[in-house]
Amino acid sequence: MNILVCLKQILDPEVPARDFRVDAARREAEQGSASLVTNIFCENALETALQLRERAGGAAKITVLSCGRPSAEDSLRKALAMKADAAALVVDESDATPDPLAVARVLAAAIQKLGAFDLIMTGREAGDWGAGQTGGLLAEELGLPCVSFVDTVEVAGGVLRLKRQTDAGWELIEATPPVVVTVTNDEHNVPRIPKVRDVMMSYRQPLTKLTPADLGLSDEARAADGYYEVAELFIPQKETRCDFVAGDTLDEKVDAFARRIVEVTRAL
Amino acid sequence: MNAAAVNEATREIYWNVTQVWVMYALLVPTALVAGYGVYRHLSRWRRGQPAARFDRPAARVGLLFKHAVAQRRTARDAVAGLFHAFISYGFVVLTVATTVVALDADFGTAIMRGRFYLYFQSLAVDVFGALVMVGVLMAAARRYLRRPRKLVHTDEAALILAAIFVMCLQGFLVEGWRIAATNDPWAAWSPFGNLVARASQSLMGPEAIRVWHAGAWWFHLATSFAFVAWLPYTKMMHVLTAPLNIYAANLAPLGATLKRVDFERTESFGVNTLGGFTWKDLLDLDACTECGRCTAVCPANTVGKELSPRDIILGLRDLMHERPREAFGLVASNGGGVGEVSAAACTTPADKEPTADMEARKPLPIIGAVPATSPVALWQCTTCAACMEACPVFIEQMPKIVDMRRFLVMEEAEFPDSMQEAVMSLERRGHPFSGTQATRMDWAEGLNVRTGADVREAEVLLWVGCGGALVERNQRVTRATAQLLEQAGVSFAVMGREEKCSGDPARRIGNEFLFEQLARENVGNLNKYGVKKVVTACPHCFNTFRNEYPQYGGAFEVFHHSEFLARLVEEGRLKPVPESGKKVTFHDPCYLGRQNGVYDAPRELVQISTRGGAVEMPRSRNNSFCCGGGGGMSFVDEPPDKRVNQERAREAVETGADVLAVGCPFCMTMMEDGVGARKGGRDVKVLDVAELLWEASRPREAGKQNL
Ligand code: SF4
Ligand code: SF4
Repeated sequence: MNILVCLKQILDPEVPARDFRVDAARREAEQGSASLVTNIFCENALETALQLRERAGGAAKITVLSCGRPSAEDSLRKALAMKADAAALVVDESDATPDPLAVARVLAAAIQKLGAFDLIMTGREAGDWGAGQTGGLLAEELGLPCVSFVDTVEVAGGVLRLKRQTDAGWELIEATPPVVVTVTNDEHNVPRIPKVRDVMMSYRQPLTKLTPADLGLSDEARAADGYYEVAELFIPQKETRCDFVAGDTLDEKVDAFARRIVEVTRAL
Repeated sequence: MNAAAVNEATREIYWNVTQVWVMYALLVPTALVAGYGVYRHLSRWRRGQPAARFDRPAARVGLLFKHAVAQRRTARDAVAGLFHAFISYGFVVLTVATTVVALDADFGTAIMRGRFYLYFQSLAVDVFGALVMVGVLMAAARRYLRRPRKLVHTDEAALILAAIFVMCLQGFLVEGWRIAATNDPWAAWSPFGNLVARASQSLMGPEAIRVWHAGAWWFHLATSFAFVAWLPYTKMMHVLTAPLNIYAANLAPLGATLKRVDFERTESFGVNTLGGFTWKDLLDLDACTECGRCTAVCPANTVGKELSPRDIILGLRDLMHERPREAFGLVASNGGGVGEVSAAACTTPADKEPTADMEARKPLPIIGAVPATSPVALWQCTTCAACMEACPVFIEQMPKIVDMRRFLVMEEAEFPDSMQEAVMSLERRGHPFSGTQATRMDWAEGLNVRTGADVREAEVLLWVGCGGALVERNQRVTRATAQLLEQAGVSFAVMGREEKCSGDPARRIGNEFLFEQLARENVGNLNKYGVKKVVTACPHCFNTFRNEYPQYGGAFEVFHHSEFLARLVEEGRLKPVPESGKKVTFHDPCYLGRQNGVYDAPRELVQISTRGGAVEMPRSRNNSFCCGGGGGMSFVDEPPDKRVNQERAREAVETGADVLAVGCPFCMTMMEDGVGARKGGRDVKVLDVAELLWEASRPREAGKQNL
C-alpha cells in the first residue's frame, strides 16, 4: 500500500501570548522568538500511517509531502526520523498569505507527479490559521472521495475501514482506495518520539525538492477562482475589569451580585 | 636479658615441621587457581571501552593514601570503619610477617631477628592478629545481630568471616604450642601466643603438644592457601580491586563524571551491553564490597522506590561473572579459541547459516536483565551523586545509570511521557517547561536590565536559566539577584531571548545529542559576545558551565550567585543589615555542594542575612539529601507516598527553622511543594539565599518588616 501524508510547518502554537505579534500590513503572524514546528494534526496523521504500516507488517510505503518555505525541510526530516520512507518538499517562496485552495492545487500536482497513492492523509486543520480546508480541497483537486475527522485507519481485505469522530459519536466507514482522509487526534495517535539515531540518519536521507514551476503551476493557475481572503489580522484586545458588589448583609450582597450578572449578560 | 641476647632473638622457622616440600608443592595449585581468578578478572575488564584513568599519577597516589591506606571514607561509618581497620591493617601486618618468614627461609636473609623480631614479628603480629579476630567478631555481631538493611546476606559473606577467624585462631594455636614445646625465652613478646602456651601446658603433655602443633601447622597452611586461592572469586577480591579502583578514580568534581558520546564513531548510543561500558566501569563492578552505603543514602531508595545503586552494581557484576559468554557476546570459534562477534558480523552470510547460533552471539542486553536495571528503577535516579560520594571505593554508579538512560532515550526512545514532553519542549523552544506562558524577560519587568549587544560591554553575564526565567516563584529570586548586583554597582547584562537551556536536563535524562546541540549553541552565543565571567543562580547551569562547556569551547569563569554575592559582601560592596530574627536552615543543592564542593558561600549569606541564627539538618553538606528534582525528575510525578521532596521537607521542618533556605530553582519548587504538602504544623518559608540577602540589603520602607 502506498500512503502519502501531507505535513505543514507552522509557528509554535505554544508561543506565550505576550510574545505573540502580528504584522497587520502583511496580515501574517510574526515569527519573533517562536520556533517552527510540525502542525500537530499532521503529526497525528503521520502517526496513524506509521501504525498502519506496523500492523501491515511493514508492507506499506509512507511518503511525506509538504508545501512551504525552505525551512519546512525540518518538518520532513523529522518525519523521516519517525520512519517515513520518502519525503518531498514543494518550495514556495512567494510572500502571499497561504490560500488553502492554492495549497491544495500544489499538493495535488505534486502527488500526481510523485506516483499513485492508495491513501492520502492530511491533518484535520492547521494550528496556525485553523481553516480546515486543505484536506477537502485536495480531494476535490484529485477527484477522490474524502473522509474527515478520522482517528483510526485499518485495512480489511481490499478496503479501508475508517473510524471518524462526529459530534454524536463515531462513524465507521468502509472506503475503497484511493481516498483522502483528514485525521484528528485521539489517544492512540499521539506522535512518537523519534530515536536519536534515526534523527541523525534522517539528515542523510534523500529528499525531493520541487517548485510550483516544476509542477507546471503558474501563480495565476494557483490563484484562479480564489474564494478565500484574509481581510484583516489583529490580536483581539481582551479586557478584564473587576467589579466589587457592595452590600451590608450577605443577602444584599447576593442580590446585588445576581443583579449584576443579569446586567452583564444582557449587555452581551 | 642482656643486649647481646636481644640482638640474637629469633625463632626457628619450620620448627617441628617435616616434609616442607609439600608446602612448596601446594603453592603451585594455589598460585594457579588464584592466578587464573585474577586473570579472568583482567580479561573481563579488558573487554570494556577505553577510558583514560592513569593521568596525574601524583594525585592518584595521594587519593590512594587517603582512601586505601587511611580509609577516610570507610571510617565515616564509625563501627564498620573500626573493624575494617582492624581486619585490613591486621591483614597487612600478617602478610608482611609471612613475607619476612619466606625471605629468611627461602632467600637466606636474616631479617627475622633482634629487636625487629621482638617488636614486629612477635609483638605487633600478635596484637594485630588479635585485632583481626576482634574485628571479625564485631563484623559478625553487626551483620547478624544488628542486621543493617544495607547489607546483602550471602553465604559467601559468612564463610569469609568464619575463614578469617579460623585462620587467625590457628595462628595463635600454632604459635602457642610452639612456645609451649620449645620453652621459648621470648614468649613474653607474644602475649596472646603465650596465653595459649600456658593454657596448653596445663592441659596437655609435651608430646601431645608437639603432635597437635604439627597438625595445626599444616591445617593453618591448608586453610590459608585455600583462602588465597579462593579470594579472587569472592568479594574479598576487593583487597586488590579497591585500591586499583581508587587509583583509577575520577579526579574531576563529581559533577564532571558523565562521558561524552562520539556520535560519528559510536555504534550504539548509550549502553545496553557490558562491553559498552568502559574497562573502569567493569572494574567498578569487581571493586564493590557490598557495603550498601550507596543504597542507604540514595534518596529514591530511602523513600521506598525500586532504585538501588548497590544492586545495579551487584546485578551487573553477577551477569559478568555468571553469564560472561552471553554478556560479552562470546562464542567458541571453529578453531576452539574465543572470538567476539558484533551484531553486524552476524548478518553476513559468509559462513553458512546466520542461525540461532549467531543470535546467541549478540551480547546480552543488560537493561532489565536483573531487577535492579529495570527501566522503572533507572528512571527514578535524581543524579544526585550521593551514592558516589558515599562509596568507600569510588565506584561510579550514577554515570552508569545515565549511560543506560542514554540507550533508552537515544536508541529506543522509551522514556517516561512527562520527560518526553520536557525533551520535546527543549528541542522546540530551548526550555523544558512545556506549556509555560512566561517569557525569558518577564522577571525583569520594571528593572533596567541590559541585554543583547550590551552583553559585550558588561563585566559579568547573569545567566538566568530556564527555572529562573520561566517559573514564577523563581522569577523573584532572579529579580533579587539582579537587584543585589545593581546595588553593589556590578556591571552586568543578561542574554535574554538568546538564552537557551544549558542542556543539563537533556543530558541527565539521557539525550546527549540534544545536550550537545544546546551546549554548542549557547557557547557559540556567549563567545559571540566575548563573555568571560558568568554568574548564575542555578546550580545545574553552574555545573554545566563549569564542568561541561569547556569541552565545547566555553572557557568562562563561573560563579554560583551565592559565591559571587558572598564576595560582594566581603568586599564591602553590599552591606546587609539583618533585621529578621528568623532561624534558617540551608539545604545544599546536590549540584552545588556535593558535586562541586561549594558549601560555605551560601552559609555565609545565611549568617549575615538573619539574626536568628542558622541550624543544620542532620544530612547536610556532602551528605545532603536531594530535593528530588535533579536528573529530569522534577518533570515526573512521583507516587504520593514515595516523594523525595517530602522526606527532605520533613527533615528541614524538624530542625525547628522558620526559613528553609535554598540555592537552586529546582530545589525551590520541590521544597515549596514538600513543605506545602505537610498538613498542619509550623509555617516554614522557603527562600533563596539571594532573597534572604536582598531582604537584609534592600532600602527599607519605614516601619515595614520585609521577611
Ligand atoms: S545518583 Fe542519587 S538517586 Fe541516583 S542512584 Fe545515586 S544516590 Fe540514588
Ligand atoms: S557500590 Fe560502593 S557503596 Fe555501594 S555497595 Fe558497593 S562498595 Fe558499597
